[in-house]
Amino acid sequence: MGEFNVWTSLPAVAPEIGLTILAAVVLLLDAYLPKEKNRARNIAFVSAVSMAVLALTPFIWAPAPNTSELFWGGMVRHDALGQLFDVMILLAGAITVMIAVDDSGVGRRGEFHLIVIIVTLGGCILSSSADLVMIFVALETVSIPLYVLAAFRREDNKSSESGLKYFLFGSFASAILLYGFSFLYGLTGSTQLTAIAAGLNSEIVSGNLVAVLAALLMVIVGFGFKISAVPFHFWTPDVYEGAPTPVTAFVSVASKAGSFAVFMRFLIEAFGLPAVSADATSTLVVIDGQTIQTFWVNLLTVFSILSMTVGNVLALRQKNFKRLLAYSSIAQAGYTLMGLAALQAQSAIGQDIAMASITFYMFMYTFTNLVIFAGIILFVEATGRENIADFAGLQRRSPWLALAMTIGLLSLAGIPPAAGFFGKLFLFQAAVEANLVGLAMIGVLNAIVALYYYLIIIKIMYVDQGIDEDKPLAMPRSYAWVLGITSVVIIILGVIPTPIFDLAQQGAAAVRLAMGS
Amino acid sequence: MPPAVPTEFFVMLSMILFALGAMGVLLRKNAILVFMSVELMLNSANLALAAFARQWNEMDGHIFVFFVMTVAAAEVAIGLALIVAIFRHKQSINIDDLHQLEG
Amino acid sequence: MALEQFAPAGVMIIIATILAFIILVISRIFGPHRPTFRKNAPYESGMKPIGPAQRRVPVRFYLVAVLFIIFDVEVIFFLPWAVAMRDLGVYGLIVMGVFTLMLIVGFIYEWKKGALEWE
Repeated sequence: MGEFNVWTSLPAVAPEIGLTILAAVVLLLDAYLPKEKNRARNIAFVSAVSMAVLALTPFIWAPAPNTSELFWGGMVRHDALGQLFDVMILLAGAITVMIAVDDSGVGRRGEFHLIVIIVTLGGCILSSSADLVMIFVALETVSIPLYVLAAFRREDNKSSESGLKYFLFGSFASAILLYGFSFLYGLTGSTQLTAIAAGLNSEIVSGNLVAVLAALLMVIVGFGFKISAVPFHFWTPDVYEGAPTPVTAFVSVASKAGSFAVFMRFLIEAFGLPAVSADATSTLVVIDGQTIQTFWVNLLTVFSILSMTVGNVLALRQKNFKRLLAYSSIAQAGYTLMGLAALQAQSAIGQDIAMASITFYMFMYTFTNLVIFAGIILFVEATGRENIADFAGLQRRSPWLALAMTIGLLSLAGIPPAAGFFGKLFLFQAAVEANLVGLAMIGVLNAIVALYYYLIIIKIMYVDQGIDEDKPLAMPRSYAWVLGITSVVIIILGVIPTPIFDLAQQGAAAVRLAMGS
Repeated sequence: MPPAVPTEFFVMLSMILFALGAMGVLLRKNAILVFMSVELMLNSANLALAAFARQWNEMDGHIFVFFVMTVAAAEVAIGLALIVAIFRHKQSINIDDLHQLEG
Repeated sequence: MALEQFAPAGVMIIIATILAFIILVISRIFGPHRPTFRKNAPYESGMKPIGPAQRRVPVRFYLVAVLFIIFDVEVIFFLPWAVAMRDLGVYGLIVMGVFTLMLIVGFIYEWKKGALEWE
């Protein structure tokens, strides 16, 4: 780590510093701005533009190419993967603020935007943290404000209820995660992830295999909850349905992307990767002759299959659009877990593709989910109904809205030219590289099942006769911008995915080299 | 000076507290009691962390405990606010009464 | 095992429990029982009890308590700084200054929002 120098360490946390200042500024704005009609709108505008600008900072203060250095006393890593996750979380925050502006009861209160900024801050720290303390604090910085956001519509019974459910399950999962962390610290005497790997590989842990596995299991339960993988998914449908729609959108992307980033880092750094060539060293943790990786890879494979299948099958019989997206997001978590299981690949290219495919999937998923949720918010604000059947004839009421939502749904289903196609393709490729052909096959079968319910919605929007077909939907300007930009990004990612995927692959290679494998 | 209490004792105690907390979360019906059980689990982790920090003679664990305490305080504030909000709607904080969202 | 050194404490706990039990049983058997309403009433320093013990407290107390606990707990971060203040020097002072500034911004917010007003 070398001599501690504040100035060389600052770029590693540039977006976080910017967000902290922004949070303080918005707090003071909310306290001092005079009460007038456009007050919350102005605050929202300041927040959204600032976050969009801050999304540039990871590129201005980029990490040195092909490195994954530790900063701030081993607390955070500065590398291309963290950079990409920072960008997607910041953009998700900016878009969420924009789509919340006209949502009654949510965006018209200044503190909503403040809380979104704080969640974004937590997500940015989370995606690059390399220490148990940092992971725990960042995870809670994401979760605790999200409990508030879920219950933000106080006069609404459903919103309060979903907030309380989210809170009780979420804090339970955090407590289990923390207990796992405390055991990892107790066994190795360090909270820094790579130091934990070194400690686990040394003599001091021998004979404690059961304790290590128990700690690992608790950590997986905690993270599994945050990414809503089966069997820890039971909170997801209720929270997605009950929470105000902009909050649902934000929960489904920011918290999920950050959690996947840190879950991936945790598994790689604390439990190692297999050696990729004769001269490289394997950093895999081996205790009493047992390779720990076998344990978590098999466990995650099972969770991946369960999440995909349960999510897709239950999504088939949903009537409420938000609830359907909840099950769809469980299924998407299942696909992404495939990438984590593929980390066991024995080749450099296999490991890199596994990490990069997770990153790319989350990147495209962020925009995909936000475009669909923006459409739902717009529709629900105008009509007050959120069942799938109510979307009948949407194409004749608002052709552009229907088109944007179609692009989003195609991307979720994985049909070209939308970005979801390459997202799934890379994940399946990673699974095949890691000799998980069976898992990839199950993934493909699930994608076909999922295709059915996504296409049904598109058919309802374009073909079915609705009752209010002659009433066109007005599209406010902020929504037009959000829908337009996100749809274009989805199409661009779907036509030329290589820039983002290459950057992710470089970042993955840097992480792999930093591990020494 | 008498010999110190071995770390295993603290870890055993923290395991007992953790198990009690987990059972409380799973079995209790009152939201505040569930929430208190979660706090018990967090504090059992704190106890384990402090004990391990003493065993390794390092400060990391103690610092971790500070952060966990802060997080727990934030969670208390939010949790109680949510419970008050639910109570205003339903005049009850029994978690079996939370059935607006099902299907 | 280090368990033996706790033997005196264990014996003490057992004896105390048995003794307390014996005293209660003896006074129960041999003592006179003449309960009256006054005797059964909860003891409130000789005052007459007013209202039930478990009554609802205004929710405003809770608000003050929550605002207090947040700022109260933040103080624990000053302790490690105070211990290592001389080693950390100017850098530590600046970092704690930023930390305090954040707390003050939060405090200004809660003041301006009227969270500290009683009515």
